[in-house]
This record gives sequence, structure tokens and C-alpha cells, in this order.
Amino acid sequence: MKVAGGTVLAGSSCAYAVRFLIASGAHGAGVDDISARKWGMVVDLSQCPADCTACLDACREENNVAYHGDPRYDIHWIRKVRLEDESGTEGMGKSVVLLCNHCENPPCAQVCPVQATYKRDDGIVIVDHHRCIGCRYCMIACPYNARQFNFKDNEDWPNKDHPRRSHGVAEACNLCAHRLDEGLLPACVEACRNAGAGALTVGDMNDPDSDISRLIAGSAVKRLKEDLGTEPKVFYIGL
Amino acid sequence: MDIKFDSIDGNSTAYRLAMASLAVAALAGLGATWYVIEKGLWVTGMTNRVPWGLQIVMAVYYIGLSAGSLVISGLYGVFGKQEYKPFARIAVYVAMLFLIAGLLSILTDQGRMDRVFVEPFVYFNLQSMFSINPILYIGHILICVVYLWALFTERRRLTRVVATTAFGWAFCVHSGTGAIFGFGARVLYESPLLPASFVAAAMASGTALMILVIVGLFRVTKRHVDDRLVLWLGRFLAVCILVVVYFLMVENAYRAYVVELREAAMYYLFGGFHSVLFWGGLMLIGCFIPMFILFYRRTGKKIRWVVIASCLVILGVLCERYVIVLPGLTHPAELFPGLTITESVIEEGIASYSISFLEVLQALGVLGIIGFLFGWGLKYLKLLPDEARYFRPSA
Repeated sequence: MKVAGGTVLAGSSCAYAVRFLIASGAHGAGVDDISARKWGMVVDLSQCPADCTACLDACREENNVAYHGDPRYDIHWIRKVRLEDESGTEGMGKSVVLLCNHCENPPCAQVCPVQATYKRDDGIVIVDHHRCIGCRYCMIACPYNARQFNFKDNEDWPNKDHPRRSHGVAEACNLCAHRLDEGLLPACVEACRNAGAGALTVGDMNDPDSDISRLIAGSAVKRLKEDLGTEPKVFYIGL
Repeated sequence: MDIKFDSIDGNSTAYRLAMASLAVAALAGLGATWYVIEKGLWVTGMTNRVPWGLQIVMAVYYIGLSAGSLVISGLYGVFGKQEYKPFARIAVYVAMLFLIAGLLSILTDQGRMDRVFVEPFVYFNLQSMFSINPILYIGHILICVVYLWALFTERRRLTRVVATTAFGWAFCVHSGTGAIFGFGARVLYESPLLPASFVAAAMASGTALMILVIVGLFRVTKRHVDDRLVLWLGRFLAVCILVVVYFLMVENAYRAYVVELREAAMYYLFGGFHSVLFWGGLMLIGCFIPMFILFYRRTGKKIRWVVIASCLVILGVLCERYVIVLPGLTHPAELFPGLTITESVIEEGIASYSISFLEVLQALGVLGIIGFLFGWGLKYLKLLPDEARYFRPSA
């Protein structure tokens, strides 16, 4: 798999390569593991310092996420917002990290007319940049404002191992699928840990002994807009 | 009833001037589109919070305008009103052109136009309204081609079959277009009524356009058209407007009644520029004034007033298309009930959108292209009858 997928991984999303290999019958040990997993994330707001941007910076650098200095066109695979209680109660403010929820029933994938957005067998929702036609229907369908569109070419290209973002396609957080496939943590989670915060936890929700499963089982977790039935796989503690 | 069809000479200065103007508009649109492709869509008025703009508004508007053929096909092909046969050719041709206009608008709105001709067909997604609709549009264009061929070759049985098929297909086209929005997860989009109200608005704008085309063309080319044929279309237009108003009332009353939708309803009805278009453009200019004109006995029976009402409806439905597409995008999704976002790196709350000059040029360019094709068709195809008489078919 590593040899066959290598060139594809360099220029395209590794997820698509894995899917292609599965379709081709080239099942390897790693491929079988993918369908057995279900990746999810827990965000513990109590562990997330308001002024820390380690996860945001790491994501931008790892994935060449475009930043133009214009909030109308900047891309944010992960972003932070400050929330205040509408009653105005002091001390009720929260800093919340927002990213693609990698929904179990992703509306973005349902509406994509070319199946460029799809859910991998391990639950990660991903965009094939080489197939997206840029219709932006996924952005309309996403109830979380998690999808963005490359309105401009990105001049910066910090991570040469991954393609520079070109204009004309939609994108969102892919949970660093390429890193997870190699047994590494997503860039944001790693940066969060390195910063000493530990607010982000990624893991296999199918494994009852994983950190994420224990956090979900043992804490009062919330998901965004649960009533929609999209089954988000990003869980919040302290929201 | 034998009707003689003919083309126009197309040698007059007015014709040549009109064609030259349309060609200039088409070239301006092509230039604007080239610039957008080169620079990226950021040169339009769209942003990450408002990812659809004027091109999508115009696309659904053009597609709605093609419904005039639905009406004429229904009258002539389905309900057997033979007196509308003289308009069948021009109605189908205009419908085909506006469907092409819709597709062109959608095409020029894509981030990667180069992929539009292959990927949607290879990776067709049956669950996506954006996959289903182009099939409906292309299918309708093909039906129009067969329909025209049947009309030109006077194949009566085939004409009847194709007219009936086109009638049913057009319902799917306009319902499907409404479903792009109505089946969406946004507060101001989601509505099972939208496909139906889209059909009603499409029939209103399509009928209004047919009235203008018929009256305008017959007058300019000095052909006789019986007033009663146009007046009947005027009355039908009035009924269509009534249905549109009914749907709008139900939809907005529902939103205003349900507590969790009330804030969105207030934004839609009183929240800014789109509200001015809703009340002033759609309700007043597009519905109430035309209804008054068409239902009032003194004005409803005069061709001049029916033409004025038709112009107002066409303008009103353009506003309707705008208020379908834009407020649903500028209105924010509520991610945190009971909490307010006070700091963010993106536009939160009500988003802004303003139509850019390039988008206007693109829209005019599409009109220029189909206008040019319309003029070409008048000159080279036998689209116009020598006259259109009113008669009662024998029992």
C-alpha cells in the first residue's frame, strides 16, 4: 500500500488513495484497520486558554491553509470564538474551538454533485480537491459554517509535503487524515499538547478503552446542533 | 387549421443595431467571466459567509422564465386549445434559450469551470439536488429540440406527445430548482413549500414573458394577434400571481408563528435591503399592482395595461429570486443558543453582500448571448405565424 499509494499521497488526498486501493482489492493491514475505526474529537473548554493559538497556527502550517488578511476570504480549518452569556453574567465567557464536525450523516457529502466530499470508512469527512468543481453547495448545506472556499490563490506554501491550495475549490478540516494514517496525531492536537494545554483529544470512538471513549462516557459532553441528526463527532466538555 | 410560419427579413437597421448591442453585451459578459476565472471568485461580491450571489439568483430566474413554454405547451398540447398553436414554436424556442441561460449562469459561477463538463457525469450523486437539476435542465433542452423539430415538421401526434412530456418535465425542472433551496438546512431556505411556490412564480414570470414576446414581436413585425388570446394569458397571469402571494403568506406566517423561526422571519421581512426588495419589489411591484391591473375590469381588458402588468411581474419575480437566495445566506446559523459570539476571526452575525459590477456584466452577457440567439432564430427559423386568431374549436 505504501509503495502504490506514495505518489498519489504526495499530490492528492491520501484518503482518496486509500479508497481507491480498497476498491482495487489491494487490502493491506492498515486498510482493514481504517474501516474498523471511527475517529472523533473531544474539546475540553476548561483546558483551552483563551489567548492560546497553538492549534490554529499548527493547522495552518501543516495544511497550507490560506490566510490573506481579509476575514471575508481567509480559510480557517479550525478557529476560535469567544462566547458570552446573553444575560451578560460576568465570568460566563468561553473560548470555543470550532472545526469540521466530521458528521456521521454529513449534509455536505450528501449535496456534493461530484462526490468530491465524502466520508471515509473511519468517519473522517474529506474533500477531494482534484474533483471539486467549486459549486459551494456544501457550504450552503453545512449547518456549522465549517466549510470554506478558496476564493484566491494562496501565496504561502509552508509545508512542501502537501499541495499548495489553489483557488476555486471548497475545503474544511480533514482531521489531518494523512497524519492519522501514519499513526501520528493531528497537527492541532499535537500542538495543543506541546503547548501544555491538553484541550484536544482525538481517538477511535469504536475502541471503548481509548481516551476519547472514556472522556465521552465519563463527562457531560455536548455536540453542536444535535437536533439536526447530523451526528457530529466533535464533542465539547464545558460548553 | 393551417397556419403559415415564416422568419423575419432581418435586414432593417433596427434589427442590426439590436443584434450588435446584444453581441457587445455578450462580449462584455465573456470578458468579465474571463477576468473572474483568472483572478478567482473573490473579485465578485461573494465571500465565505455568502458563497452564492447574483449568478445563482439569475440562474434560477432564467430557469423560471422558461416556464412560458410550460404554459403554452399545456394550453396547446395538453388541454387542446388549438388557438395557442401559433405561439408554440416561439414559446419552445424562448424556453430553450432561457434554460441555456440558466446553465450558462451556473457554469460561470463554478470555482473550477474546467471540471464541470466531466466530473458531474462521471461521479453523479443521486442524493444531490445539484446533480439532479442539471440532468433536468439538459433533458428539458433536449425535449425542446425534439418539440421544435416536431412543430417544424408538422408531426401532430409527436407534437402532442412531446408537448405533454415537456409539460410534465417542466414541472420537475421548476420544482427541482426550488428544491435546491427548499431542501436546504438553512432556516430561511428549508421549506417543503418552496418547490411548489417556485413553480407558481416560474409560471407567473414565464407567462408574463410570453405576453411581452407575443405582443412585442407581433407588433414590431406587423402581424395580427387577436387581443382575446393575450387577455386570456393576462387572466392566467393574475391567477399565477395570486398563488404566489398565497404561498408567500403561508411561508412567512409559519416562520413568524413558530417561536424558533420568528427571529429569522423578522430578519427576512424587516431586516435590510432584501426586505425592501420583498415588500417593494416583489409584493408591491410584482404582485399587488399587477393583480390590481389584471383584475380591474377597465385595465385588465386593455393590452397596454396587460403588457405593463407583465413587465412589473418580470421585475417582481427577479426580486423574488433574490430574496429566495440571499437572505438565507446572510442570516447566520445559530450554533450556540443563549450565547453570543463576541470575538471571531470570520464575519459573524448578519453577513454582508453587495452585487459587484463584474456580476452585473456576467448577467448581462448571458442575456446578450441568448438575445443574440433569439434574434438569429427569428431570422433563420420559421418561428412566427402570419397571424394568431381566436377561435372556438368545434365540438
